Amino acid sequence: MQSSSRRMGVMTDVHRRFLQLLMTHGVMEEREVAHLQKHCYKVHDSSATADKLEDFINNINSVLESLYIEIKKGITEDDGRPIYALVNLATTPVSKMASDYAENELDLFRKALELIIDSESGFASSTNILNLVDQLKGKRMRKKEAEQVLQKFVQNKWLIEKEGEFTLHGRAILEMEQYIRGMYPDSVKTCNICHGLLIQGQSCETCGIRMHLPCVAKYFQANPEPHCPHCNDYWPHEIPEVFDPEKEGEPTISRPHRKSLRSRQH
Amino acid sequence: MPRGQKSKLRAQEKRRQLRGESRFLKTAQASVATEKDPAASAKPQVEDWSAKTQVEEQSAKPQVEGQSAKHQVEDQSVKPQVESQSAKCQVEDQSAKPLVENQSAKPQAENQSAKPQAEDRSHNFPPIGTSCEHKVPQETPATIGAASAIANADSEEGAKSQDVAPPRTSSIPELWRRDPLNKKVILLVQFLLQRYQKKEPITKADMLKFVIKKYKYHFNEIIKRASDHMELAFGVDLKEVDPIRHCYTLVNKLNLSSDGTMNDEENMPKTGLLMIVLGVIFMKGNCASEEEIWEVLNMMGVHADRKHFIYGEPRKVITEDLVQLNYLEYRQVRHSEPPRYEFLWGPKAKAETSKMRVLEFLAKVHDTVPSAFPFWYEEALRDEEERAQARAAARARTTAVVSVRFRNGNFYP
Repeated sequence: MQSSSRRMGVMTDVHRRFLQLLMTHGVMEEREVAHLQKHCYKVHDSSATADKLEDFINNINSVLESLYIEIKKGITEDDGRPIYALVNLATTPVSKMASDYAENELDLFRKALELIIDSESGFASSTNILNLVDQLKGKRMRKKEAEQVLQKFVQNKWLIEKEGEFTLHGRAILEMEQYIRGMYPDSVKTCNICHGLLIQGQSCETCGIRMHLPCVAKYFQANPEPHCPHCNDYWPHEIPEVFDPEKEGEPTISRPHRKSLRSRQH
Repeated sequence: MPRGQKSKLRAQEKRRQLRGESRFLKTAQASVATEKDPAASAKPQVEDWSAKTQVEEQSAKPQVEGQSAKHQVEDQSVKPQVESQSAKCQVEDQSAKPLVENQSAKPQAENQSAKPQAEDRSHNFPPIGTSCEHKVPQETPATIGAASAIANADSEEGAKSQDVAPPRTSSIPELWRRDPLNKKVILLVQFLLQRYQKKEPITKADMLKFVIKKYKYHFNEIIKRASDHMELAFGVDLKEVDPIRHCYTLVNKLNLSSDGTMNDEENMPKTGLLMIVLGVIFMKGNCASEEEIWEVLNMMGVHADRKHFIYGEPRKVITEDLVQLNYLEYRQVRHSEPPRYEFLWGPKAKAETSKMRVLEFLAKVHDTVPSAFPFWYEEALRDEEERAQARAAARARTTAVVSVRFRNGNFYP
């Protein structure tokens, strides 16, 4: 809990440029963000030493505070990459999307969102989403069009597609976490470790608690016999690797939760 | 064994039942009093937030009824969080401390664990009358929440200042809260940002309709403050380009060069592709066949028939989108049968960037410097010279015109 006497930071052209570019991209990975920060320093104030990224961003956030905007940091659910996005705190969710999509497209997104949240795995199959096309508000949309719209969402980083199923992109989670918690308080899932919103993750088959894949990776790191933190039963799923920014390779996780074939333990 | 269908259906049913029950529960609670019992306060964050979302499209009615009315208007999903009403009532009912806490706890939805809800809420108490009266912009159905108000912005304060590491806390300068105009300023800033990103001009009419509404007599004040914010935080200037039709545009004050903004760091994903295509065209003597372009793109993993995770449909982008925007020229090779096509630089590309810049971009991509490509470097240098001369000539012409007019006694061209 911070004291209310928070010093407002100083914005220079370096920070402003950074903000403009971050805004253009929507969401960026930490590596790209660091690179962007260096670029902004180079371009506007090459003599200055760059702040640490965390301080740099906190500085910007302190200025943006009064505008109800902030640069939020999150972690991608599937491979634990840190990401950053510029988020509006004061408006309803979907607002960033509202200016880019038609009414029926936004409604499609909302329906997909609801299916994703209600699902057990955090994924909604494209068939199920497309079946709801008749219930959309606004102009009538055919299934073919709906497929295109879903692809647009993927391109603009609101949804991720895997094997014909859709889940939320890290960006959508960052921007809409509060909205989701408010709209779906009963079906929303949370991580037992970080208490953040959970869409994809692993769950204990005995007591049902859930954890993000990166949270699992950290919690069980180097533990040869993982046990559920809640009920202490054996943790039956494959433990993913902790994300290492140095080793830039393919993500090592491929939804082990879904592929787990362990029998229920009673 | 993996969970069977029956088990899944049962779980869904259960969830739906619970949803129904809690709705009922909330309605019951709402009608009781403004006092929240501990059970209810167990889930304040989420409920209050939905109150918030639903409040946003309300017109100024007494808050309690307003909320339920909102529920009908707001078509997000049928999850009336009626009790969150009391959250809004908190403004009127200063004594109901628990409410205040709940409302504040709402923004901290992320910190699910029972955080002490009595944070610095007390100082966030807005003066009675401001938030209550505050009218929220009426949303057209089409724009779901594009410019929703911060109905309880004051109580929203808990949501601010997300440090890179949790937990979140709040602290807003006192003077912001006391000022109802401020909410409009904030909304306007967000509205302008959206338009800026889409590079659309902004009319006063639009601003009044979507954001300012009943405060239209304060338009000048609001727009001044919003543009100050934009300048301070984002380095963009709000300029009136058409004083008759009141059309505004946002200009980037941080322009690095006089020629335009194209720069490899600042490209939207599509323009990254554009730079490469321009580079190929340049290196093939300012005209490249479609096959040559695809050869290079294929090496980067961009294929004509495959969707790209950044560029979408690459073929459409380069043969249609970028051509329409005048960045590229795409024409059939003369007398080619079957028809083959070639690419050239379009007029917009020539205006917004230069051969030197494209060469710099390519050099960077190959981790080297432009002079490593001597032949093209020479050509780029010549191009720079020509441009500089053209600029000087243009300036000379303008000066000449002005001085002629001056001599003839015509001071106002």
